[in-house]
Amino acid sequence: MKILLSWLRDYIDIQVPPQKIADALLMAGIEVEAIHEPGKHLRKVVVGQVLTRDKHPNADKLSLCTVDVGTGTPLQIVCGAPNHQAGDKVPTALVGAVLPSGFEIRVAKIRGVESSGMLCSKKELGISDDHSGLYILPPDAKVGEDIVKTLGMDDVTFEISVTPNRGDVLSHLGIARDLSALFNLPLHRNSLDEATGEDDVRALTSVTLDEPDLCPRYGARLVRDVEVGESPRWLKDRLEKVGIRSINSVVDITNYVMLDIGHPMHAFDFDRLAGHRIVVRRAAPGEKLQSLDAVHRTLDPSMLVIADAQKPVAIAGVMGGEETGVTTTTRNVLLEAACFDPVCIRKTAKTLGMMSDSSYRFERGTNIDNVPIALNLAARLIKDLAGGRPAAGLIDAFPAPPPLKRILLRTRRVARVLGIDLKPAQIETLLLRLKFEVTRNGEEIWVGVPPFRHDIDQEADLIEEVARLYGYEHIPVTLPALFSQPVLPTPLQKLVRRTRDYLVDQGFHEIISYSFIPASIPPILREGPPLPLKNPLSDEQAHLRTSLLWGMIDALTRNIFSDEYELRFFETGRVFQPDASGFTREADRLCLGCCGPANPVDWRHSREPFDLFRLKGLLSRIGALVPTDLEFARGTHPALHPARQFEVTMGNRRLGVVGQIHPQLRTNKKIPEDWFVAELDLTALAAAKPARRLMQPIPEFPAIRRDLAILLPKTGSYQAVRQIVQEAGGEILEKCTLFDIYEGKGIDPDRRSLALGLTFRAKDRTLKDEEIQPRVDAMVKKITERLQGKLRD
Amino acid sequence: MSDQSEILWNQFEEERRQAASSKDAEALRVKYLGKKGPVSALLKNLGALPPDQRKAAGEAINRLKARLEESVEALMQEWSGREEEAKLKTDLPDPSLPGTALPLGTLHPVTQIGLEVAAIFVSMGFFLAEGPEAEDEYYNFEALNVPKHHPARDMQDTFYLENGQVLRTQTSPVQIRTMETIKPPFKMVALGKVYRRDSDITHSPMFSQMEGLVVGENVTMADLKGTLAAFAEKMFGKRLTRFRASYFPFTEPSAEMDVQCIFCEGKGCRVCKNTGWMEILGCGMVNPRVFEAVKYDPEKYTGFAFGMGIERMAMQRFGIHDIRLLFNSDVRFLRQF
Repeated sequence: MKILLSWLRDYIDIQVPPQKIADALLMAGIEVEAIHEPGKHLRKVVVGQVLTRDKHPNADKLSLCTVDVGTGTPLQIVCGAPNHQAGDKVPTALVGAVLPSGFEIRVAKIRGVESSGMLCSKKELGISDDHSGLYILPPDAKVGEDIVKTLGMDDVTFEISVTPNRGDVLSHLGIARDLSALFNLPLHRNSLDEATGEDDVRALTSVTLDEPDLCPRYGARLVRDVEVGESPRWLKDRLEKVGIRSINSVVDITNYVMLDIGHPMHAFDFDRLAGHRIVVRRAAPGEKLQSLDAVHRTLDPSMLVIADAQKPVAIAGVMGGEETGVTTTTRNVLLEAACFDPVCIRKTAKTLGMMSDSSYRFERGTNIDNVPIALNLAARLIKDLAGGRPAAGLIDAFPAPPPLKRILLRTRRVARVLGIDLKPAQIETLLLRLKFEVTRNGEEIWVGVPPFRHDIDQEADLIEEVARLYGYEHIPVTLPALFSQPVLPTPLQKLVRRTRDYLVDQGFHEIISYSFIPASIPPILREGPPLPLKNPLSDEQAHLRTSLLWGMIDALTRNIFSDEYELRFFETGRVFQPDASGFTREADRLCLGCCGPANPVDWRHSREPFDLFRLKGLLSRIGALVPTDLEFARGTHPALHPARQFEVTMGNRRLGVVGQIHPQLRTNKKIPEDWFVAELDLTALAAAKPARRLMQPIPEFPAIRRDLAILLPKTGSYQAVRQIVQEAGGEILEKCTLFDIYEGKGIDPDRRSLALGLTFRAKDRTLKDEEIQPRVDAMVKKITERLQGKLRD
Repeated sequence: MSDQSEILWNQFEEERRQAASSKDAEALRVKYLGKKGPVSALLKNLGALPPDQRKAAGEAINRLKARLEESVEALMQEWSGREEEAKLKTDLPDPSLPGTALPLGTLHPVTQIGLEVAAIFVSMGFFLAEGPEAEDEYYNFEALNVPKHHPARDMQDTFYLENGQVLRTQTSPVQIRTMETIKPPFKMVALGKVYRRDSDITHSPMFSQMEGLVVGENVTMADLKGTLAAFAEKMFGKRLTRFRASYFPFTEPSAEMDVQCIFCEGKGCRVCKNTGWMEILGCGMVNPRVFEAVKYDPEKYTGFAFGMGIERMAMQRFGIHDIRLLFNSDVRFLRQF
């Protein structure tokens, strides 16, 4: 919303610099986004009158002018514009002037002739893009006057952004009212116009109010014999400066009243109203209306309309109808000022997808007392500017005037909330400045809320008003003196934090991908049905993710397309799945994605690619953070390579997957074949009960190490070998490590060699070889019998 | 000492000073203390002395011998030590060759700032709460004093799910969920993702917020100012802060906190749009209506709440101009943090 300083001064005699006004409003909760002072950078440009215009002796397209600038000595100026003649008044930049473009005017010789100034176009003055010719000023412009004054460019425009609670400041009066409170200056009121005129309006028209709940007050005045035409300069000027296009004098006046006192109005062509009367009612189902923006609207009974005897003529509070609008042929004007239910207006505007300056204000609440004021002000303006004859009186359908809203403010409560000790009298003064009615009884203040302050309906709202006016900056700074119970991080919070740190240490970069996924992701990446958004921004963001895999694969792919092949990414985030009743069930997951070398490739190490076991190792370590043992089995995830994937479980619970991405998802040759992902349910993992850890005594006796190389059929499982080793090793087998796997040259091609390091130790004695050998023999025997393995020579 | 011993010692001393290796020291030992050396010769000659002088001369020679032995040993130690040291210093590695550990990864800049903000509040006694990202409308709006069809809903363009839930537009529903489960007094913060239907260079449809709530019997707006100013000082350094009036349906009075621009120190620049201030967070005293919604007694308890966007702080801290860079997972971007 734009606010003019000169317009504010209709109400308040404020003389502080514009920046100070802006700062005060900002601190009080009314944000000034910009201050425009168009004349600020225009100096030494005056009104000049062209005395003579001759052809330049040395140039066809230039003219040589003498210009009177009010100094008594006419200036000689060379000009290239085509549109001026002797007698015209034009903006004249004097020597020394700097134009908004930064161009400085100096005495110059142009094609051999001296020129002492410049005649200006609108563009050169920085007021529009029009550069077709000089800006020819009206004949009554005063020669020699500063152009800033002549063109009204000394005015200041504030661009203001208003929070949704402050419907009362959506006008010049409203802003002036807050300024009067902030600067403690008196607010001038326009003298109230009387509804005087010829013939009683009640004999000429009527208003039937069918829906007093949706329209608590509807007022109308009639002005006859209007000559609708162009608005006078001052009115056009004010409207233009606040960004409203001038239409005709009557429409301009209704807009002017809205911007002036904040009450939206509408004007009907009285002669086009069937039955010459107004009915305020709900729309009938399917009823149609062509609104002023030339769109045909279909209405429904949730909407309030203003109708004549036959049909809707306006969508109440939102927009008028095309057919009954005021045009230059209109003679008799019916003015409407009313109050509508904010919720009804908002729903209607939303349903029809049409927000107007009017609906915007009605949604935020208007001043019900303004109805007659707006009507009388508009009627007088029409009379003055468009020559109409107002009918006497006004129609005021106002079945139930609301009582004054009264709220109790306890001054002790002010102190308790704000932490400042204001005296009751001080509080009273502040409230009076804001035009509240105040009755004080000791520490209790009964506050009457003026009808324009719809945002005030409880004590806390009054406390805010006190604080706002007192100034937040004057509230002291303390720390809360309260004891709060210790609350420790949850197991999930701890696990997420440790997992992140661990993965960063392992060279992984954290990514954050959107929780939205496209509707069109490959079905194999769907984990159950996703939850769709009702109003997505695009098809690319139509569903909520059910797994982090798609985002990870997408991230890897996009990086590879930027020629980045060494990637290790992780993400922790929510996934969303519908529960049995369709509501959202959320869980936190971890996702890993990588391709390229798994080790630091440098001057000493050559490249070792990522593989399934590296990722298995990482996941196992993350399990150890809980601590818990994760188990791995062959997996069946459709988005992973059918052979190169494992399922991750804990107990009987499936926690995730790890594997090479399915070749089917390798959409481009640029993508390496060995790219991997893993996904783990952190919510479930964090829920694992960590086993209680008790200290084991540090061994007192030495260990004996035995190595065992076994040739195992390739189909055999290490797990089976381990189980046998553990069985046969018994309680003295302290540790079994797999330190090598070999297949290839020198070995049966159907077998691989597993090299195991066995550590034996007893708690109470030094072991002897004789105790160990039978156990090792038993291991070999069982491995041979059960697993068709054999000892490698 | 006899003259002979004296001469011998001086001669030894002379030669000892010339010694420049453990080999030289060994040669000295052989020369002076060996079987064919002067000490042996002197001892052999003892027999030639009159018996009454023998004892004294013998003692003198032995003393000389002991001194020589001690001195040679010290020389030996000294040189072998130096030689060991010199030997270790051959084959010097080039300190400019790069080390070979795996490079560290990075935490996302938004995570980094989120953790930093959380750590500040946790150090002031706040605990970290969490809540769902897909919320019931009640928690996201009604319980926070934003009725249906209220213009305040325009402040946040909302994503709706087909099942009737919304994606939370703010972390404030965690306030409600926390108050429904615990009793005051407490101090909590909640960090998490929020969603608004808005997408351009400074707006992302998904971003992160940190929410805070303090409830007790005598919590005041002065406490709000003190707590948030203390946070700002830790987060942005010693800089001016200001609180100005604002509007949020769930706080009354409401305020915005600005911090003096970290780029121009308040002089005005492009980043702060020439205002000299950066908007950091919205805050206010909890609206009694919110307390009523969670069945806290608004007469007994007061409290303050605040909320801030993490991305904006990350963008300011790291000089990131386009919010979309945070979410497109480009390793060339991520690596820098």
